[in-house]
Amino acid sequence: MATTLTPKDFATATPSWWCAGCGDFGVLAALKQACAELGLEPHKVAFISGIGCSGKISGYLHSYAFHGVHGRALPTATAVKLANTDLTVIVAGGDGDGYAIGAGHFIHAVRRNPDMTYIVMDNQTYGLTKGQSSPTSMLGYKAGPHPQGNPDAPINGLAIALAAGATFIARAFSSEPKQMAEMIKEAVRHPGFGIVEVLSPCVTFNKVNTYKWFKENVYHLDDLPGYDVRDRVRAFATLTQPGKIPLGIFYREIRPTLEELMLGTGRPPIASLPIETVDPGLAALQDAYA
Amino acid sequence: MIVNNIQVLFGGQAGDGSLTTGDLIALVFKRMGLEVYTFKDFPSRIRGGHTNYVIRAGEQPHYGLGDMVDAMVAFDLECVEKHIAEMRPGGFVIFDNSQEKLTDAARRPDVYVYDVPLADIAKKQLGLELVRNTISLGVLGELIGMDKEIVRGLVTKQYERKGEKVVAQNIGAIEAGERYVREHFDRPSGYALRARPDGDRLLMMGNDAIGYGALAAGCRFMAGYPITPATDILEWMAKHAPRYGGTVVQAEDELAAINMTIGAAYAGVRAMTATSGPGQALMTEGIGLAGVLETPIVVVECARAGPSTGMPTKTEQSNLNHVIFAGHGEIPRVVIAPGTVEESFYLTVAAFNLAEKYQVPVFLLTEQALCQSKETLPRLELGAVTVDRGKLVRNGGVTFGEYKRFAFTEDGVSLRTVPGVEGGMHLAPGSEHNDAGVITEDAANRARMMDKRMRKLDAMRADLPRPSLFGEPEAGMAFIAFGANRGPVSEVQDRLRSVGVASKFLQLRTLWPFPEGDVRAFVAGAEHVFVVENNISGQLERLIRAVTGPVPSLHGVRKYNGRPFRPAEILDAVTRRMATLPAGVAAR
Repeated sequence: MATTLTPKDFATATPSWWCAGCGDFGVLAALKQACAELGLEPHKVAFISGIGCSGKISGYLHSYAFHGVHGRALPTATAVKLANTDLTVIVAGGDGDGYAIGAGHFIHAVRRNPDMTYIVMDNQTYGLTKGQSSPTSMLGYKAGPHPQGNPDAPINGLAIALAAGATFIARAFSSEPKQMAEMIKEAVRHPGFGIVEVLSPCVTFNKVNTYKWFKENVYHLDDLPGYDVRDRVRAFATLTQPGKIPLGIFYREIRPTLEELMLGTGRPPIASLPIETVDPGLAALQDAYA
Repeated sequence: MIVNNIQVLFGGQAGDGSLTTGDLIALVFKRMGLEVYTFKDFPSRIRGGHTNYVIRAGEQPHYGLGDMVDAMVAFDLECVEKHIAEMRPGGFVIFDNSQEKLTDAARRPDVYVYDVPLADIAKKQLGLELVRNTISLGVLGELIGMDKEIVRGLVTKQYERKGEKVVAQNIGAIEAGERYVREHFDRPSGYALRARPDGDRLLMMGNDAIGYGALAAGCRFMAGYPITPATDILEWMAKHAPRYGGTVVQAEDELAAINMTIGAAYAGVRAMTATSGPGQALMTEGIGLAGVLETPIVVVECARAGPSTGMPTKTEQSNLNHVIFAGHGEIPRVVIAPGTVEESFYLTVAAFNLAEKYQVPVFLLTEQALCQSKETLPRLELGAVTVDRGKLVRNGGVTFGEYKRFAFTEDGVSLRTVPGVEGGMHLAPGSEHNDAGVITEDAANRARMMDKRMRKLDAMRADLPRPSLFGEPEAGMAFIAFGANRGPVSEVQDRLRSVGVASKFLQLRTLWPFPEGDVRAFVAGAEHVFVVENNISGQLERLIRAVTGPVPSLHGVRKYNGRPFRPAEILDAVTRRMATLPAGVAAR
């Protein structure tokens, strides 16, 4: 099965809504490639997305796709995974979805460590509502509600994830889909919560953080001598270093997943339990009230 | 001498262990074969503040409070001051006079006071002030004739986890209380108990019945955020669901809780959440999502007094509009409301079946005076539980390209695949979509999709719990109510009947879709219809008027001080309207 799949097996017939040149195309291409190379079967993939330009992505990946309400993709996905541990659960959403309206859930999903992959498509703006500041917009970014420039310091989502206990942290750039696909594959293989933040330029509204700007302002962790993904302190230092933006896998750690802690191992998925007939053992529960 | 009919108020400061003793008193009554209803009136704080626990026992089930208190067990002056006016003439007070003396203002000539230094006895004779509650149980038991063996058996069972020493201390406390009465008081209390066969009955809290009903109905996932008075359900499920393969998540907030519930249901697990007003407000967007995704979920709303934080531990029926109407846009939804603990179990089962059969969100609406109250009830029949999963596809049999998740059907319900089913892949979007799940704003599709979803409301009519009709169907005097008012209204009917006034009572169990036909028919034959509800604006009455049109004989009976109705309050409202009502139906 695994050897016969190609990215096309994960394509849908739905035409994309994204603007030509949108960074999200790179994310979709990398995601399909990763799914194919991992040999995932579309019916065993639950792909949950948030709201915004990025959230549209769930319509373009052949899978069980779920496009819920703004900011709540992570709790939805956590429950999908708990309900059926046989599924590969992938979540995708934007910087606004994950770091603003969904920020509370983000921290708690991270600390629970469910076995899933979270792709944050970061374009540093609210594209679908025409270019307002987002939680990752740079200070001074001029936008509708901020004609004098964004007064709010940008959020460092990956540093927050590390502080909250993330067990796999990576950053990719949508102009480098091959590296991104590798990172997504690593995140999916990682037994726990894997976050891949993708620099995904908005060509229509964000005239500051353009492809050109990114190319001049990124570097690769591979180029750092002696970088060790098990070193949490170094990961934090690297993530919070001012200046150029590092790409690559920052950190990985193995600790028990939410499903292992809550459900144990070797048990059938909850979704497969036969509930059509009432367990006769339930009758004994009434004795405590007799 | 009043036999087998007593309402005990057990009160003091929160956190002093009075709830445990209140539970014990309720169990003693139950074991002595009486029908029991309990009501917790406690403050929204952990320690301090007046709290009381009312235990009502009689030979008939009442499902609610009586008008007056027969016996008060007061651990402080505040308790007597607050509740002396509620005492029945001829009733009695057991007062702990270790620290305080009862003031003249807190006395009534027709209520006898047994002064018992409970705390002093606890400290001096038993070396532990904590057991003063248990001593009071001995005092009360001696005064009203509780079965001594039953009392000792229950006290032993209650404390055996804590070791022999604690059991011995508490048994000693019971004996000290009984002895104190024998040595100090000749005066009989005026109350007596005559044991009847207990039978195979239960004493269960409403919230526990909901948890149990959910488990029996196959619910294997719950997500919730702690909130009074719904938390009991989360904790009950967390304790019991794992043994049956299920799991329970304490979410970071209600936004997460509702979306987790939807996620688990989307993945094919029967799932629920439980909350109260403030949490319900946060869940509103998620409810809309469940409606448009046609994902079956059960939301238990344990109503409390709002708005905002309101009175978290007090009861109210002001969330009726909220559960029926809250949300932007329009979705099909079901709201059902049990009136007793027993019904809480069976309607929870019904909620899960309705949710899956019609792929809609279903609210189970209850309230503090029911969900945190205990009642006696017969064993719950698991044999009566059926699980109908509707058009759920769990094992394939669909072909990709042909299968359409939101296919237009006659009843509005489409075949539902869940992740893992081959061939059933689709997009489930909160955005409007076509039958295949593809997002579209096409005008014709939009209207057709709205029709499809809302059509379920008609299709489900036959499966909705019908209202219960009590009394004489031809009577001119009529009552309509739901939820915890089932008890007090029935009791009002009994009192009216005893003076020769026939009445009928429609207890609504499905509140949405509104039971138009049943309500219209019920109202049509009545001269006066009293709509009894616990809110200020007459939310139920408005729903009724919307289907009946102008009805001059419709009268609102409303209470909104956070406390449940006493039968006399409803009777007062009735007698004010009905000058011709015979004398003798007033409070008793």
